[in-house]
Amino acid sequence: MRKYLTTLSLPLLLAGTLAASDRAFAAEQGITDTEIVIGDVEPLTGPPALLGVAASIGHKIAIAEANNAGGINGRKIKYVLEDDGYVTARTIQGVKKVIEVDKAFAMLGISGSGQSIAVMPVLEKAGIPTVIDVAPVKFLWEPPRKNVFVVGQSYEEGIIHLVTYLAEKNPGKKWGLITQDDDYGITVRDGFDTVVKAKKLNVVYSGNYKKGQRDFSSDMLQLKDSGAEVFLAGGIIAENIAMMKELEKLNVKPVTGIFWPGRIEPVLKLMGPAGNGIYAVDYVEPFASAAGKAFLEKAKPLVSEAEFKGINRYTMTGYAAAKVLIAAIARCGKEPTWACTISELEKTKSVETGVMAPVSFGPGVRFSNQKLQIMQSDFPTLSFKPVN
Amino acid sequence: MRTRDYKQTYRELVALTDSVPVWLWSAILIAALIIAPHILNAYTLSFLTIILITVVGVLGLNILTGYTGLISLGHVGFLVTGAYAYAVLVSKYQMPPIVGFLGAGVIPALASLIVGAPSLRLKGLYLAITTLAFSFIINTVILEARTVTNGARGIAVKRPELFGISFESEAAFTYLCLGFAVLTLFATLNIRRSRVGRAFVAIRDNDIAARVMGINLHTYKLLAFVTSAFITGIAGALYGIYLSFVSVEGFPFLLSIEALAILIVGGLGSALGAVLGTVFIVLLPEATRLVFSLFSTQMDALFSTGAQELKSMLYGVVIILFLRFQPRGLVGLWHDVKRTWVHWPLRY
Repeated sequence: MRKYLTTLSLPLLLAGTLAASDRAFAAEQGITDTEIVIGDVEPLTGPPALLGVAASIGHKIAIAEANNAGGINGRKIKYVLEDDGYVTARTIQGVKKVIEVDKAFAMLGISGSGQSIAVMPVLEKAGIPTVIDVAPVKFLWEPPRKNVFVVGQSYEEGIIHLVTYLAEKNPGKKWGLITQDDDYGITVRDGFDTVVKAKKLNVVYSGNYKKGQRDFSSDMLQLKDSGAEVFLAGGIIAENIAMMKELEKLNVKPVTGIFWPGRIEPVLKLMGPAGNGIYAVDYVEPFASAAGKAFLEKAKPLVSEAEFKGINRYTMTGYAAAKVLIAAIARCGKEPTWACTISELEKTKSVETGVMAPVSFGPGVRFSNQKLQIMQSDFPTLSFKPVN
Repeated sequence: MRTRDYKQTYRELVALTDSVPVWLWSAILIAALIIAPHILNAYTLSFLTIILITVVGVLGLNILTGYTGLISLGHVGFLVTGAYAYAVLVSKYQMPPIVGFLGAGVIPALASLIVGAPSLRLKGLYLAITTLAFSFIINTVILEARTVTNGARGIAVKRPELFGISFESEAAFTYLCLGFAVLTLFATLNIRRSRVGRAFVAIRDNDIAARVMGINLHTYKLLAFVTSAFITGIAGALYGIYLSFVSVEGFPFLLSIEALAILIVGGLGSALGAVLGTVFIVLLPEATRLVFSLFSTQMDALFSTGAQELKSMLYGVVIILFLRFQPRGLVGLWHDVKRTWVHWPLRY
């Protein structure tokens, strides 16, 4: 009987040990003696690629910088990047691939707001340390998830900051607003309505357009007829360009505010002189500032010529997130674990990235709540300059 | 070895299959599918889950387009309606998931009556455009009905618990999808063998002749729409649960095209074709990536960073190749192989 029990218990013991060691190994996946894997899923094809590619370039710059300095405690960082084409199902699969097949130790990114929200259960279940930098929406940090951190500022706060600034600068003026018919548009409208209520703004035009709309002739004609003097253009990229071009055609130039997803230099170039003097809000430094110029100088030798041309504000958000993550892993010493990295991310206090205000998290705080600043476009130099 | 089909009784004639090897292989396949979730990692398992959900949706479309010959470009409209029906009933109104699944079938089925009615007078391209318009209208309705659907904000959906069984884990959810896929497969196979199924096929082959034979075109065309939308709605609910977040953005128009591509590649009007086509189309980009990664790591990276563009190109090439060289699809290819195997060395 004893022999039988011994025979039975040995494989069980072995299986138990293997299972335990497997769990221990799983907690430290993506790490070898020489390498540490960081994964990312972004829209690299299709129209949102303008954002996804730029963010991934930011990650690459931070990683190249760290690797040139010897890596994380002697381990070089390997960056694994997946394209989701802005398709939610593909984001989920991409994240699963990066975690399960590429065995990433940590994640950066991840794609758009809807995609990040959808992928949250996968990230939570896996427990992988993740720093999100592309689409900061409240759902990602409310309630706080143990392993998911968000660098940035909420869309609502951004809009409130911009509209408050424009309202104080243009007292008693008539307002116009146009938003997209998606979650982004609703967020913009919610932020706008908050200030309208608080400051009792006189809104004479409030429009809504279908995502993908390219012709804004009737919308802008209505805006003109309403006599709006301050205009919040709630489009993203092509929409804002079309709106400004249309206003130029109609020979009207209201004080215009745009939001950060569209605050990228190629947009300004496409708007032409019509884009001169528009106001924007952001939590990253404009490239025309000293910090922005320093960042470009730093980036130049670290990325290819094509990648350098693809740099925009999302490169800065990506860079900051990667810096924060790399610093947290580095603080874990020679044998970083997921638990340690999460704990160190939580302890992140006033980390300087050079491209935005210092980044901090805290116990139960998974959102860095970045400081906002207002900037104004300058078409001749194709740049945005801080307004203070 | 069997060389011909000799059916001597009605029982043999209406049997799903009289071939023991087919039952045997089917049992082996089911057994493999039951074991798979315990062996595969989360990434590979996600392909299996997607395949099973897609099989349900494509079998739904197959009833309308494959059996009845009514082309639908707007089936994503039924998919998104099913997903929202489930999300609203279960996540918003806290109803049991079983009610959610029922609603995911019934609500798109009711919606299909709206789009099905014009089909009584429209055919071909005109019907295709009508169904396309329906998918756009349904998106607008969802976005505008904010009090019910949360508009563009979408609705978060949790994994269900049915009859005391939790489908929270990836493996459990795959089993749920497998259950629905097997049920749908048997349902569509049986529909095809029934009087209703034969009426559908008669309408597809020649609607005037079908009418002359006493088939009520109005009733059967609407029935095809309702059945197809019911099944597609269930697939929508499963897809919504898989995404864990239901929003209009999660159901792009491209899904309608992808479903039609699956039917063309698999073989129109065949349940087996729908299954083969789904497996082929879903796995094609990954299989291509694997093949190319054997030759070069750069190609692997290219497939990672340009996956969606390459995927669209691959779909295009495959559809062209199938239309040109194998219009009967994979199921046609399978029949050719089977015939060659049986008759070899004779050609026929």
